Amino acid sequence: MTNYSKKRFLVIDDQPLAREALRSIAQTLGAFAVEFASNYQDAIYRLRNNVPDIILCDYVLGDGRSGQQLLEELRRFNLLPDETIFMMVTGEQSYEQVVAAVELVPDDYIIKPFSPEKLMLRLDRIMEKKLFFAAYYKEKRRQEYANALAILQAKRDSEAGRPYRYEILRQQAEVELASGDAEKAEGTYRNILENYNFPWARAGVARSLHKQNRLGEARHEIDQVVAQTPHYFDASDVKASICMAQGEPDEAQRVLDEVARKTPRNYQRKRLLAEAAILNGDAETACAALTDVMTNDTMPGAISPEDRLALARSQVAARDNISAERTLVGLRDSEVQNMNLAEQASYASLLAISSTAKGKPRFTGLRPALLSAELDATARLDVMRAALTLADNELADSQCGQLLAGSDAKKLFATMRSLYALHGREVDFRNLQREIALQRIHHAETTAPAVA
Amino acid sequence: MHHLLDTLASGIHDTKNQLFIAESLIAASEAKHHIDLSEARYAIEAAAERLSRTLAAYRLMRRGANLAIMPCIVADLCAEVALAQRQHLATAGIALAVDCQFVDEWPLDRDLISDILNNAVQNAGRFARQAVTLSAMADGGGLLFRVEDDGPGFNSLPPKMNTGLLVAERLAQLHVRRGCPGELRLDNNSRRGGARFELWLP
Repeated sequence: MTNYSKKRFLVIDDQPLAREALRSIAQTLGAFAVEFASNYQDAIYRLRNNVPDIILCDYVLGDGRSGQQLLEELRRFNLLPDETIFMMVTGEQSYEQVVAAVELVPDDYIIKPFSPEKLMLRLDRIMEKKLFFAAYYKEKRRQEYANALAILQAKRDSEAGRPYRYEILRQQAEVELASGDAEKAEGTYRNILENYNFPWARAGVARSLHKQNRLGEARHEIDQVVAQTPHYFDASDVKASICMAQGEPDEAQRVLDEVARKTPRNYQRKRLLAEAAILNGDAETACAALTDVMTNDTMPGAISPEDRLALARSQVAARDNISAERTLVGLRDSEVQNMNLAEQASYASLLAISSTAKGKPRFTGLRPALLSAELDATARLDVMRAALTLADNELADSQCGQLLAGSDAKKLFATMRSLYALHGREVDFRNLQREIALQRIHHAETTAPAVA
Repeated sequence: MHHLLDTLASGIHDTKNQLFIAESLIAASEAKHHIDLSEARYAIEAAAERLSRTLAAYRLMRRGANLAIMPCIVADLCAEVALAQRQHLATAGIALAVDCQFVDEWPLDRDLISDILNNAVQNAGRFARQAVTLSAMADGGGLLFRVEDDGPGFNSLPPKMNTGLLVAERLAQLHVRRGCPGELRLDNNSRRGGARFELWLP
């Protein structure tokens, strides 16, 4: 049994009486140090300053916020070490439906009313589990994936690991995905599915297939999950990403729009919605979603230069160059200097489009690098857009060629074609497309094994 | 229909919050005054369980009801039922024995299964003379929970189905794995001579 007198508790609840009740329960366990947080912001402030050992968080936090959202935010900003216990407290039986579906789960949840003894039993078990996985957590945090997988393998084969088989497999699949071995991750998730059709495991198969660019199969899997578990909103995000990769931004936007209405304070989802809307040619929705993000995603450090670039991109797409220029000029010099090459490329491109006078010199200065550097697809599309605007056909065609030959070709095809059409270069686009297709055929012929 | 369900769920949620405050106040008084009010706390938890079970029955009897299936450590589940029931049964002179031979996790709806087992143990305790046993074991490729007592057994077989048993039956049917549903079996073949409740999950 754990000695709770040395554990630091944080009780998060917007109702004073319920807060007091939770404190009283914690004290009955022997706890001395029990802090309170009365709302979402307060909780984040306290957690940033001092991470407790045990968090007892009510599911309903008021102001449209939920404990699940808080948990997701804490994980997103790495504010919750694996060693800290996050216990969701809820009066809603329906919360179990949430936990059964989502990927980011608390260590456990407990339904009110409950006795101090029951809470202690649950906390003791979580402590045991955390102890069991302690060495693995350490390696995972250091991103030593091979070591982490070796530990999991040893645990999986051990007698002590029997009660944690699913958790071991789940962690294994996550590490395999994080380390870039999507094929293995797919196998591990399928191994779980052989035993039971968990929605999170099927979504894991879809994510693994997406990483392998097996988009049709990924879509088939995720469609099943979304149809069977409509309250599993993360699955809708996965579906939207797959739809975008398949070149179906309209479906991606429809799916995200529906879920975003139900989760208006999920700003990661709003970012994804903006991305889908931009691809779908709906710059107005993209601008609205990103403006909402800028205004309301209040977690310190939540708004990145990438977000400002995304907003400027949607403003450029909406032909609102004045707002785009204002957004870009609003970035501090230090932020611009700290950008990586892809972000610098996007910044220079978007500024050149929104304000030729301010942006063209920077864009021209970067031109040699833009012709030769490896850029991600988003930056390449920005460069292509700016080059078309500035009538730099050589640069535009080089970026377009790279994009058509890359793995994001389906995702960006319609956008590229419409940008070329906007500048009266449809025929050139078709020629480029033909050229890349021929190159692909030639490549396939020369690399195919000889037939006797 | 959904609106009605939401209204009921919301009312029950608020009630359970109030019950939680009451229970924590009692627990604090117990600690402060070194007294045992566990039967008062048991009554509060039993009231909350009844409310939840009524809502669960309403939800599960409808078409398209969804369970929340998660991997669950079976021994932990048995330990929680024992924690909730043992002391209360002891006040009536009945001993609750737990025999869990199932080491692994198993996919199941933890809260609903836990509620059904609590209900089965409570029912058994009502008719038992001295002893009730809760056991869990591997059986036929699935997981078998068994509650046995040393009472007179069911009056008739099949017995009259109360809310708890109806929920148990529906819950068993909704636990489907590899196309195979679970089963509820009720008979008088208890090794202790009384009634036997068996819930088999695939």
